Amino acid sequence: MSKQSTIDSGALHQGIGPRKLGERPARRWLTHPAVLAVVVLALIALPLVAPDKFILSVAVTTFITAIAAASLHLIVRTGHVSLGHAAFMGIGAYVSAIATMQMNLAFPLALTLGFLAPAALAFLIGPVVLRLTGKYFVLVTFLLGEIVRTVFVNWSSVTGGSSGISGVPAPSSLFAQPVPFYYLALAFVMVILAFIGRLLTSEIGRTIESIRESEPLARCSGVPVLSTKVAVFVLGCGLAGIAGALQGHFVHYIDPTSFSVDQSLNLVVINVVGGMYTLIGPIVGTLFIVLLPEFLRGYVELQHVFFGIVLIIVMAFFSGGIADIRTLFTRLSQERDTRRGTR
Amino acid sequence: MFSFSVLAQVFVDGIGLSAIYILIALGFTLLFGIMRVVNFAHGAFAMLGGYALYFLYGNAGLPYLVAAPLAALIVATAALVLERLVYRFFYQKMFQSMIGLLGLDMAIMYLAVIAWNAEERSVPPGTDALMHVGTLVFPEQKLIIAGIAAVALLAFFLFTHYSRYGLAMRAASQDVDIAEAQGVNSTSIYRLAFFIAIFMAALAGGFYAQTYALSPFAGEPQLMIAFVVVILGGMGSIPGVALGGLLLGFANSFLGTFYGSATSIFVSFGAVILLLIVRPWGLLGTREA
Repeated sequence: MSKQSTIDSGALHQGIGPRKLGERPARRWLTHPAVLAVVVLALIALPLVAPDKFILSVAVTTFITAIAAASLHLIVRTGHVSLGHAAFMGIGAYVSAIATMQMNLAFPLALTLGFLAPAALAFLIGPVVLRLTGKYFVLVTFLLGEIVRTVFVNWSSVTGGSSGISGVPAPSSLFAQPVPFYYLALAFVMVILAFIGRLLTSEIGRTIESIRESEPLARCSGVPVLSTKVAVFVLGCGLAGIAGALQGHFVHYIDPTSFSVDQSLNLVVINVVGGMYTLIGPIVGTLFIVLLPEFLRGYVELQHVFFGIVLIIVMAFFSGGIADIRTLFTRLSQERDTRRGTR
Repeated sequence: MFSFSVLAQVFVDGIGLSAIYILIALGFTLLFGIMRVVNFAHGAFAMLGGYALYFLYGNAGLPYLVAAPLAALIVATAALVLERLVYRFFYQKMFQSMIGLLGLDMAIMYLAVIAWNAEERSVPPGTDALMHVGTLVFPEQKLIIAGIAAVALLAFFLFTHYSRYGLAMRAASQDVDIAEAQGVNSTSIYRLAFFIAIFMAALAGGFYAQTYALSPFAGEPQLMIAFVVVILGGMGSIPGVALGGLLLGFANSFLGTFYGSATSIFVSFGAVILLLIVRPWGLLGTREA
């Protein structure tokens, strides 16, 4: 109970802090090229096998949530957990919807704006909020999310107030059909996930890891800590904007409640439950959070209770998430051994 | 607009709000200061306190001065089960506690929806009487809330400064290891601190439900209040809570009356974000290394 408590200089050193040397992630096989190829082919084939509107819409929701979760994952990897990520999704959604509906811009242009607007906000606030460590960052982003939601609700001349904007058009008449939109969303999720995955395994990725492990050490090694964190934050928030924009054009309706703290929380849950150390984590988490409710339809409250309990158990016993469940078992057996040893 | 009678009204409102805010935030800062736990479920316990008061006072009709403390006592006692099952695993783990207790918050909130549905209810005020001071008229309810809050705060101060357990609690908050070496039983001290914190949150939740309305989601704004007050004053600092609570209470009362509640949210959150950037350890907190 008293092992740590003195080292807290920068990163949140326990939850997503340093992992022990030689402790290899337990899910290497999931990123094997063959496994990836099979998954991608299966996803491409899905509409041919099951051209069911319901299945496709669940799949599109999963893709959009995966983009948002992965964009938060990028920020989490620097050691900062944002509790206001849905606000950036919301900005993307509103900007893109307003651009297509009121300014009559083409979808690609609107989507670009939906990326740029939250990224610009992140660029403005990033240099300031990213100086904060651990708990203060969590609290500030929590409040920021509330402020943005309050803006959505109160700036009713532009955002339609709490009733939101309905009739957001599909990207084009072709993409108004479920199957083409499925492929559009699939393309986005694959490109974005591949990009994030590539980024995290590149030298930049290692720089990000070093910042999370120890900020002072990274700074001493010549890493431009703040500017790297800001760049990652800007990118993460921009990608969240894309997810939000896609969601708006898919559901044809946006309102402030879909981008409230609850949604931010969901994204954090996805990352925590799936595992915060690898990109596979948020993907596994997304499947868990989006697909499970589909089987628990009609018991919405019970779902939340269940997620809450899962969150407690994951944080109390294995912060590596579901994707890291093997570590839990090794740790449990180790603990049993040590307990036997002390007796 | 800024006439004397309106300003006096705003002042009394400010005292009532400040009392509630301080009670909520005191428990929050206590849990943080002693156990290093960021209690994201704090609002949920306040919400439970509101329901307890609703059933004891609104439904069962107990006398108000009995019902209010009893409701808080019931919630705090029941919460001890959660202390054993959940909180004990998060002591001294700041990051894990944040996310794990968010989960607890969610679980309690939606269990409340299942148990009592999501409808808004209102808890009747303790008294409808009005007090006349010269030409000014105040609802006595506000003064009762402020009175009970003042008694609770005074009791808390006396307890922490003049009793053995309070001393042990303060020792544990400074350094658990050394406190344990001096014979302090940290497990029971933690349990005691948890009980006190939840008692105050539940008491405040009852008052909050009377001032605004009661629903399973009433915990969220209260959690936000606890955040803002504690950040203003400095995390873990008890005088900081008093200062932060007064600042936020009066600011909300003033801005809410003259400029509407949205402005008041903007200004208070904006001020907190600015403060966090310039002085993250709060007005009266101590800087962390």
